[in-house]
Amino acid sequence: MKLKILPPHLRNKKRYLAFEVRSQNPLTRDEVISLIWGAAGGLYGSCGVSRFDLWVVKVWKCNSSGQNITKGILRCRREEVDRVRSVFPVINRFKGKRVVFHTLGVSGTIKSARRKFIKEGSQSLF
Amino acid sequence: MGVKIILFFDFHVKDDPELVKEADRLGYAGLALFSNGNGNNSSGNENKVEVASGETINPENSTKKENPIKTYKGVFISARNPESMRQKVKKSRKNADVIMVRGGDQKINRAACEDPQVDILSAPYLKRRDCGINHVMAKKAALNEVAVELNIKYLTKTNSYLHYKVLSHFREIIKLKRKYGFPLIITSDAESIYGLHTPQDLIALSGCFGMDREEAEAALSKTPQKIIERSETRDKVVVDGVKIIE
Repeated sequence: MKLKILPPHLRNKKRYLAFEVRSQNPLTRDEVISLIWGAAGGLYGSCGVSRFDLWVVKVWKCNSSGQNITKGILRCRREEVDRVRSVFPVINRFKGKRVVFHTLGVSGTIKSARRKFIKEGSQSLF
Repeated sequence: MGVKIILFFDFHVKDDPELVKEADRLGYAGLALFSNGNGNNSSGNENKVEVASGETINPENSTKKENPIKTYKGVFISARNPESMRQKVKKSRKNADVIMVRGGDQKINRAACEDPQVDILSAPYLKRRDCGINHVMAKKAALNEVAVELNIKYLTKTNSYLHYKVLSHFREIIKLKRKYGFPLIITSDAESIYGLHTPQDLIALSGCFGMDREEAEAALSKTPQKIIERSETRDKVVVDGVKIIE
């Protein structure tokens, strides 16, 4: 017997935030995740973050001209996009080295987020 | 459907061609550049930066943007007492677009609010336990159109367990702003490209300390534009309310 899935009207509405990280040292996927979670927890606390429904979907490495650039897609709840965005300016250091996060844009699907904001030069997935 | 285009400005940035380039990429329309030295030394560097930024940015974005990012010359004044602050302001007013006074001391905060020559009072809460502004200063600042700065670097630089303190200072200032109506300005105080953030992210962050979207947009766009407008017409103003028209 096939299991019933949650009907669409009961599912949480999602938004996908494309972001970019510039850092002095290259970052791995786990480090990006811990940075976002740490900053979100610091700014809003567990109670606030539980409402965001955060999930790092995918992270790409796209270094260019000597700079360490990592791009990625972050999933969150539709109503909380602004609050998730506000976490980014708070992140500024990782292990004593400078890091900066920028939002590239918000999108309704992973596909369009990737097409619009990540684009070329991002072959090596990890 | 009409799309409203808002020009964003960052009025506290170290003068460095790389920063200007990065700010252009992030979507700023203009910057006020501050060098670390005093007003006299900065004038030479300033011209160089403007030339450099124009050269590097134009060829890259010539297809995308017609007008490159604008840079304005700022002078940062840190004084020990109100008298020397007034003297320094008077001295550097003519060759600066934006004058910013370092706050923190109660007397200097007040003197800066009372001086119409000052454009921005930078971080009145610096190293203080309160927000550095009271109702008296708020009234004066509204009268003299002195903008009060909300410094994002000050927020990120403090330890994360003390963020609440800075945010509550910001809240206090916003409360006074709603009552007395002095201009607010959000600045990044960036020293490297790791200090700059996109204007949209800053607007989202300002929701954290109780600003709504319109207020945040005004703080990043309307207040800086007014400051520039005022500094352009300042030479023509004879007395308060009297202007020479050609």
